[in-house]
Amino acid sequence: MTQRRGVRLTVNGTPYEALVEPRLTLVDLLRGELGLVGTHVGCEHGVCGACTVLMEGRAVRSCIMLAVQADGASLMTVEGLSPEGQLHPIQEAFREAHGLQCGFCTPGFLMSIYELLQNERDPDDEAIKDALGGNICRCTGYQSILESVRLAVAKVKGPPT
Amino acid sequence: MTLELPKSPDDLPVSSPKWVGKDVKRVEDPLLLTGRAEFVDNVVLPGMLHCAILRSPYAHARIVSVDTSAAEALPGVVATVTGADAERWARPSFTAPEGWGTHCLAVDKARFVGEPVAALAATSRYLAEDALELIEVEYEPLPVVSDPMASIASDSPLLFEDKGTNVMYQRVFTWGDVDEAFEAADRVISDSFRWHRVGANPLETFGVVSEWDPVAEAITCRGSFQSPGYFALGRSATFRLPPNKVRLISQPHGGSFGGKGGGRGTDITIMLSRKAGGRPVKWTEDRMEYLVGGGSQAWDRFYEASLAVKNDGTVTGLKVKLIDDLGATAEGFGATGATKPMASFTGCYAIPVAQYDLTLVATNKLPASPYRGMGPPPHNFVLEQLMDIAARELGIDPGEIRRRNYIPPDRFPYTIPSGNEYDSGEYEAALDTVLEMGDYARLREEQAAARAEGRHVGIGLVSTIEPGVFDWNAYGVIGQKSIGVPEGVTISLDVRGKIVARVGFALEGQGQYTLAAQLLADYFGVELDDVQVIALDTLSAPPHFGPGGSRLGVALTGAVLGASHRLRDKLVRVASHLMEAKQEDVELFDGVLRVKGVAGAEMKLWQVVGAMLMRTDLLPPDVDPNPQETYVWTAPGRTQPDEQGRAKSYLTAANACHLVVVEVDPDTGQVDILKYFIADDCGTRLNPATVEGMVQGGVAQGVGAALLEEYVYDDEGQLLTSTFMDYLLPTIHEVPMTEKRPLVTPSPFTPLGAKGAGESAIHTTPAAIMCAINDALSPLGVRATEVPATPNRLWKLIRDASDG
Repeated sequence: MTQRRGVRLTVNGTPYEALVEPRLTLVDLLRGELGLVGTHVGCEHGVCGACTVLMEGRAVRSCIMLAVQADGASLMTVEGLSPEGQLHPIQEAFREAHGLQCGFCTPGFLMSIYELLQNERDPDDEAIKDALGGNICRCTGYQSILESVRLAVAKVKGPPT
Repeated sequence: MTLELPKSPDDLPVSSPKWVGKDVKRVEDPLLLTGRAEFVDNVVLPGMLHCAILRSPYAHARIVSVDTSAAEALPGVVATVTGADAERWARPSFTAPEGWGTHCLAVDKARFVGEPVAALAATSRYLAEDALELIEVEYEPLPVVSDPMASIASDSPLLFEDKGTNVMYQRVFTWGDVDEAFEAADRVISDSFRWHRVGANPLETFGVVSEWDPVAEAITCRGSFQSPGYFALGRSATFRLPPNKVRLISQPHGGSFGGKGGGRGTDITIMLSRKAGGRPVKWTEDRMEYLVGGGSQAWDRFYEASLAVKNDGTVTGLKVKLIDDLGATAEGFGATGATKPMASFTGCYAIPVAQYDLTLVATNKLPASPYRGMGPPPHNFVLEQLMDIAARELGIDPGEIRRRNYIPPDRFPYTIPSGNEYDSGEYEAALDTVLEMGDYARLREEQAAARAEGRHVGIGLVSTIEPGVFDWNAYGVIGQKSIGVPEGVTISLDVRGKIVARVGFALEGQGQYTLAAQLLADYFGVELDDVQVIALDTLSAPPHFGPGGSRLGVALTGAVLGASHRLRDKLVRVASHLMEAKQEDVELFDGVLRVKGVAGAEMKLWQVVGAMLMRTDLLPPDVDPNPQETYVWTAPGRTQPDEQGRAKSYLTAANACHLVVVEVDPDTGQVDILKYFIADDCGTRLNPATVEGMVQGGVAQGVGAALLEEYVYDDEGQLLTSTFMDYLLPTIHEVPMTEKRPLVTPSPFTPLGAKGAGESAIHTTPAAIMCAINDALSPLGVRATEVPATPNRLWKLIRDASDG
């Protein structure tokens, strides 16, 4: 096997170090080595978006990135959304608007939406659809996801001032 | 003993239901939203090894030799298995029809690309996949047949030489005097149709962790098993073990949509664990394995069909001839999808006679599996196209021809020619609802205006039945003989009056734990949070089946209410004894045990349970100190198929009417869905929000089937769509946001009047979209008869019409 390499990264504010094969995917590092199993693997070829995490605030597909590419980076996964056990407003919105059924794709959607709401305070439906075009859900037919995001936007914005 | 259960939510022992029938927030969601649900790939056990599977690159090949010695020499590889092990330890898979099965690893020859040939277990998945490359297999390629028409021919290569044919099943079912109906018809409407392979594609593939206990000779498997009890029975038969030596633990699933459970992967990991001295062996199917070799493909169909029609639009007969390509074996229940249409053969229409000419064929392709709907979606597509062609030829509006043929509300329960009985329905009301929602007259005006501008806008309007609450007799004619699919629930109360419900199935997405909690919270007058739902393994759970066949909502309701009834009776016996009242004077109502008509004479749940668990000296002598009861619900009144396959199979008949407007771009063949309206009647809605979600999810899968998804094989049996770059799942950009309105015609046959509800839209959407496309194309004089109607297919049709 190839020589292992050291990787240092921060995930959800916690620093980690690991010695990995260069071919290890980022998602396998997160799930297998770091025990952050909330990020799911749906296709392993970069299409379905289930494995979406944030790297330096940008949504990336952790199944087609190598762990070594994340060396030195700061990441956020679904576990970082509700560190104290209190649901994040996006998660609350998903619960209220039934934005999930089986829940397997959901962590990836949540991360894509988190990125969107970091960049846009009041996205319209087209902006929401554009942000979620790379996440596949096989259960909901997306309507309740769209409604969840609208609700999350309202929650994050808060009452009109 | 069958219990009499409440017919309506109003019959629950509560002043007014607080949870049942409401848009309740799901109890499952906090776990799922925080990524903490224990999907099977999260499972890590001490000493666990990882499996990788070597698959045949040939669609048909003799296996001359398999040499695993180099792989075994790689440090970290602990065990290997081949067809020889499968032959030694396991039986060929159960199949329907019988006798068309193979072992989990190819013995002597491979019959499809992706068929497992050898497997190994190593200390990591990466290492396991490295080691696969060291396995040497010598193949001798055989002639391939991937086209079912060629497969039927007498000179075709044979998949099972001992059978002498590739035809797995051929039978003509005749229900009534069909010949006479067609002779007496004013018109006969006929066409041929092609439905290409599509499939489930849940976002989570199958996975399993298996352990073989070498001392006890027993199996424990953790996996995403849709039907754990049934799959456990299968493993018991496969490994010649008594059922009490097989324990399946079903993990939460990332969706299923039919048949998740992977017999081959489970059996391979069991054998690897056996070779590895009992170490746990995990296999997580990757997406490409799923697409090429998993439970991913369904409904590969060639139809010829005819309607007998009177000039006034009355349909007097239906003939359907189906050749269904099941692929290499009859494992995986693909064939059941061809017999299920018998449960709703004539749709919403009072067509008096019908005929089904059914042929199931083997080819060198992946064995077919179930997919949501289990077979009627293509059948409905065919029937609804014929209805539209008839309407067009007779100059009748598509809504009107349907209206003239609907089974009227006063004829229920109604037995259709193919034998199933519909419980109730208001089909005309659903039609009127959807016409009003869409303002149909105006849509037609808009269409006329668009056509005047040269745009190809079409309107689809279809009605369908969703058979709900399956029983095995629906598949009796191809070898599923039993009756009575069980759903068992055990409920118990604790000393604080809180409730635990124990079920035999895992989370899958339909919100069934929430449903159980809603029912129990209303029955015992507690809060939703006071109910915990726990999944038991197959050796702990009462008889169960789990989700499937649009059944679990109704079956779970029956099981929960039955167990609640029994527990209530026990509480009443204890409470009446403690309150020194007559049993018949004590009732459970609004969460207390009270003496009827005596103000203040009541006990709370925790007081009665407390006495049962901590003061047995106070109990009546005929009550055991166990505040727990179980009930197993099965559908009542199911019948064995008669000589023409007629049976009362599915207990409920839900109804949907969809109205869709599309525009076809003549330059590209691209279809845009402009508007979509749905009237949906699945009886009593126990949690309307989850019903609506499943309807919308079915629309998405229907859009996929109608426009995007297709498994394409070449002549050599190679799958050309083995990634999500080629097998196209609908995204948020392709799925229409629909307007939905419920109708409620309760079932007289089910607890609380609910009907099976999970499959209505996939039964309806493909037909509706295809009707709309053909309405759009009708001025050109061409018709799309092939599903999916991809841009390329439509563009060719339009081009050929222009050329002509």
